[in-house]
Formats: sequence, structure tokens, C-alpha cells
Amino acid sequence: MLKIENLHASVDGKKILKGIDLTIKSGEVHAIMGPNGSGKSTLSNVIAGRDGYEVTEGSILFHGQDLLAMEPEERAWAGVFLAFQYPVEIPGVNNVYLLKAGLNARRKHLGLAELDAMEFMQLVREKARLVELDQAFLSRGVNEGFSGGEKKRNEIFQMAVLEPNLAILDETDSGLDIDALRVVANGVNALRSADRSIVMVTHYQRLLDYIEPDVVHVLAEGKVLKSGDKSLALELEKRGYDWVREEAANA
Amino acid sequence: MPDIASLRKQAWQAFEETGLPTTRQEEWKYTSLARLGSVLGEAWWTRAEPASLKAADIDALAIPNLDAWRIVFADGRLVESVTSLPEGASLSPLSELLAGNGQQAATALQWQADAPLFNGAVAANSALAEDGLCLCLADGVVLNKPIYMLHIASQPGASHLRHGLWLGRQAEAHVIEHYAGAGEEAGLTHAVTLVHLGEGAQLRHDRLQDESLKQFHLGRLAVTQGRDSSLTSHAVALGASLARTDIAVDLSEPGAACTLNGLYMPTGRQHSDQHTQIDHRAPHCCSREHYRGVLDGRAHGVFNGKVVVHEGASGTDSAQSNANLLLSDKAEIDAKPELVIHHDDVKAAHGCTVGQLDDKQLFYLKTRGMSEEEARQVLTFAFADSVLTGIRQPALRRFIEKRAFSKLPIDMDAEALVG
Repeated sequence: MLKIENLHASVDGKKILKGIDLTIKSGEVHAIMGPNGSGKSTLSNVIAGRDGYEVTEGSILFHGQDLLAMEPEERAWAGVFLAFQYPVEIPGVNNVYLLKAGLNARRKHLGLAELDAMEFMQLVREKARLVELDQAFLSRGVNEGFSGGEKKRNEIFQMAVLEPNLAILDETDSGLDIDALRVVANGVNALRSADRSIVMVTHYQRLLDYIEPDVVHVLAEGKVLKSGDKSLALELEKRGYDWVREEAANA
Repeated sequence: MPDIASLRKQAWQAFEETGLPTTRQEEWKYTSLARLGSVLGEAWWTRAEPASLKAADIDALAIPNLDAWRIVFADGRLVESVTSLPEGASLSPLSELLAGNGQQAATALQWQADAPLFNGAVAANSALAEDGLCLCLADGVVLNKPIYMLHIASQPGASHLRHGLWLGRQAEAHVIEHYAGAGEEAGLTHAVTLVHLGEGAQLRHDRLQDESLKQFHLGRLAVTQGRDSSLTSHAVALGASLARTDIAVDLSEPGAACTLNGLYMPTGRQHSDQHTQIDHRAPHCCSREHYRGVLDGRAHGVFNGKVVVHEGASGTDSAQSNANLLLSDKAEIDAKPELVIHHDDVKAAHGCTVGQLDDKQLFYLKTRGMSEEEARQVLTFAFADSVLTGIRQPALRRFIEKRAFSKLPIDMDAEALVG
């Protein structure tokens, strides 16, 4: 589904990603772990297409298409979704309006009929239950006055409505208490399917107790230093990241 | 008993002495009225010949589905009024009062040479106004529907309007002033509204200036507030080639409160100036002001919000904000919050921003599948709409939204957006 090769990227002239290689197959859940400043968020943003990230080398193919040549909204239509680390507040634009516009644009792209207001509201209510989001939030401004946990739940709720093929969860677990984490994890697990891949970017092994990954990668200094199964995450939890760095340096 | 004729004469003399304000005056630094004379002619004040409007012409310009008492002025003259107000409410056309030469007409025509934001043009209005609406509410009278004043300018020449609203103790009213235009030729609308709020009176005042792009518009709302009275105003400026709106609020007795909301959206080559002044003269008065501008093309906008806290106005609580969105790099805004404080023990805050759309918000919307264009439209709409949320009548709010966004390349379901 996603094939990243030798990806180099800079922000403000500073090299952050220095040759990322990553292949994600349909239906897989990958965790990308790494210390602060390792380039995790940069990778998420480059995949989603944020301005200000300059790709200097390498490629990202999504279902064989050149993702880097596409606008952020075209990536969304193609099925890429980013759950933001810091979701922005957009007062005055209500959640339902945003999702309806987004979903119908995607359906149009896929050659499907747009949902009418009734079908759409039915879908939205069902998905809101999935992440235990109060119905009252639906008609509020996007993230307007939401708590940190509500914002993160709203991200997963949006993902549930938009049903992407590739979802990148950028530190969705950070700042969540254990109850909120459980709700978010249940939501994500309910969305696992054979035609959907999920990439979790995280600091903490704790998230992986709730969402079991197929593959774990260690990202440090702009490169994937090591990949393994979920036992790698447990090892990182116990031993930290330095041994991975040393191992890579000695290799 | 004042003699209206001599009062008018005095006003005219004052105008001849003072003349129109010029850009040499601080309050008029950014707005030149020189074009009044060059476009409308030397005698720019010459009254327009009122058009004879058909019912269909009026309905085409009126706010649809608004449950209100409707009063219509054409080119400065009353053409349609209402007769059935509740007991204790009286509504008189200024033209009738002038003929009767009474106290009320004289009060309506006081030209306030010592008032804030006074200028020579107001004196001209006092001398020349032929018509307007004088609404008096006796103590405790509550109007359960808005008074909707529709002003249609369609002829060349000047329309001088003078309105007076007097609300007695605990009286309540909602007045909508709508200025619309259908004219092909340039003209001047000059409308002055004087308001007095008695103790505990409540006024909602919504002003929509949506005249033709050829028109000149000078508007003024001057309010004196008594003890514990409350004013909520929305001033929306969309039309005219050159428009200036002055709002002056005098919080003259303890416990009075006002909220001034404003939206201006000049595009193309429009010039749109909003000046407000709030005078805190008594203790424990509260003022809130929230103005937003959306500017496109080569438009020029001006916002000047002055708050004066006078000596003795202890416990003053004042907050002001002004935000501007520039959609074009050729659009220009002169924004100036002014806080003048002559008393300690006051709470006063103000803030002013000028900027473009927020990149983070744009990116967020796009990652959810909105096109760049739609995301820009949605954010522009949301920015401007935030000052309209206090409008109580959905029909009025939707109408303003529709008119405002017809000026921008925006084609969206506003109702769904604000839900």
C-alpha cells in the first residue's frame, strides 16, 4: 500500500529525514517509535503533504501513485488520513459540515454517489458512538473549546467517518489519560480491516498494549534504525533507545 | 418652543462655517470626502427627487421572511409606514413633526456640536433632513417584533435622513436599519440616528449598509444611555463606493452596558471607514466591542475604536477587539484602537490583528478532503460570521450572510456551515 524509499526531507534548510525506507502492506498496523526530535512528526507531515517540508530525495508511493506530487486534499481523496498530534481549533466551522464536505469529496473522487443529509447524519451518529463522543460535539466548531482528550477522540471519530485506506496517528496517545486512551484504542481497533493500514507514531509502549502492531520500527536521527515485531517495543520500554543507536553505529 | 426654521438656519450656518471634515482632521485622516463634490457636484447636498417605487421593487430589496413592522423610505422620504404599534408606542414621521414645529422635531434635529465624532456634515443633515422616524416608547413598553426600516436609494442627489429613538424606563425595542440601493447613478445617503435610552431600557440595533457600489454613504448612530440600560449593536458595512459610519455611545449613568459588533467587507475599490467612540462617564458601566474586517481587491478599510474612561468612572469594564483579514495583497487597512483613561481602578483591554488566513487551519481542512478553494471560503466565512452570532432573528442573520458572501467568490451552504 505504502512504499517509502530513501526519503530525505528538510525543514527550514535543516535536514530531518535522512533516508527513510518503509513498506506497509494492506491491513497491517505499524508502530513508529523513537525519541524526541527523531523525525517522527516530520515523517507524518510529509506523508500528509504539509507545506514547509522540503523533500530533497527519495519517493513515496501510495497504491503505486506518486504521493509527493499530490496536494493534501488529493491525498485525502485517495485515502490518506492524518490524525494530528495537535489538532487545530477552527471556530465557526462545524464538525459535521467539515466531515460532510470531506466525505462527499472523497466519494465523488471514487465515483460514488454523495450521501444525502439523512444518510450522512446516520453514519455520523453511529461513528460518534464508536469513540463515545457526545452528540453535542457534532454541531460545535471543529475542536472549538475541546479538551485535549476530546480533540484526540475527535480525530479518531473523523477517521471513522472518512474510512481512509491509510491512517497515520501522530502521537494520538500523548496527553491522554488511561480511560481516554482505552476509548481511542477501541475506536482504532474497530477500524482495523484487511484493506486499511494504520501507522501509529508514538513515544510510548503503553499504546501498543491496546493496539497490537504487526511491525515496530525505531526511528532515530532521521532513519529507521531497526524493525521488528511487537517484542521490540517491549525491549525499547525496558532498555531505552541508546542500544539501538549503538547497534546501528556498529553495523 | 424652539422655532424649527431658525434652528435649521443655525445648523446651516454651522455647516457653512465648519464645512465637511477634511483629512487634516485626525478623525478623518484616512477618509477624504473630496470626491463628494467632484462626483456629485458642487451642491452635493441637493436633495434627491424621490423615486416612485412599486411594491415589487420594495419587496425585491427587503429582507425576506422577517417578522417585523416595516417602514420604507425612498430617497430620503417616507413611503410606507405602520399604524398598529402597541399602546404606549408612538411612531411619527419626521416630516409630520417638522410641519407641527414641535419639541420632538427640535430634539430630533439637535445637531450636537459638542458630541464626540461631530462633524460639519451632521450640521448639514440637521439643516436639510426632510424625513425620518421618531419612535417613542413610554415607560415599560416592550415591542415584541423588530421595527424594520428599509431605506432605498435609487435616484441621483442626496437623501438626508434623521431618526430619533426614545426609550422610556424599562422599555425594550429592536430596530433594524437597512440601507439598500438600486440606483445606476451616484448619490449620497446621509443618515443620522439619535438614541436615548432611559433607565433599564434595552435596545437591539442592527444596521446593514448594503447600498449600490456607486453610492456615497455617511451614517451616524449616537446613543445616550441612562442607568442600567443596555445597547446591543451590529453594524455591517457592505455597499457604497465610499462609506463612513460613526457610532458614538455615551454611557452617562451608572450600570449602563453596550456591546458593539461590526463587520465591514470592502472589495474592489471600495472605501469603508468605521469610527466608534464609547465614553464611560459613570461608574460601573461595561462596554464590549468586537469588529472584524474582510478586505479584498484594492479596497481600503478603516477601523478606529476609541474608548474614553472619564474621571470618576470607577469600576469601568471595557474590552475591545478588532481583527482584519486581507484576502488580497493590494487591500489596505488602517486600524487604530484608542484607549484614553482618566481614572484608576478600571478594567480595559484591547487588541487588534491584521493577517491572512491561518495556514494550519487551511492544512487541517485540506487533509480532511476540502479543496484549497473551499477551505479558504469556509475559513473566510467563519472569520466574518463570528461577529454575527449575536443576531437573534435567523432571517436577518441569513440575509446578512448571503449579502456579505455574495461579494466574495463564495458559493456555499452557509446554513449548514454554521449549523
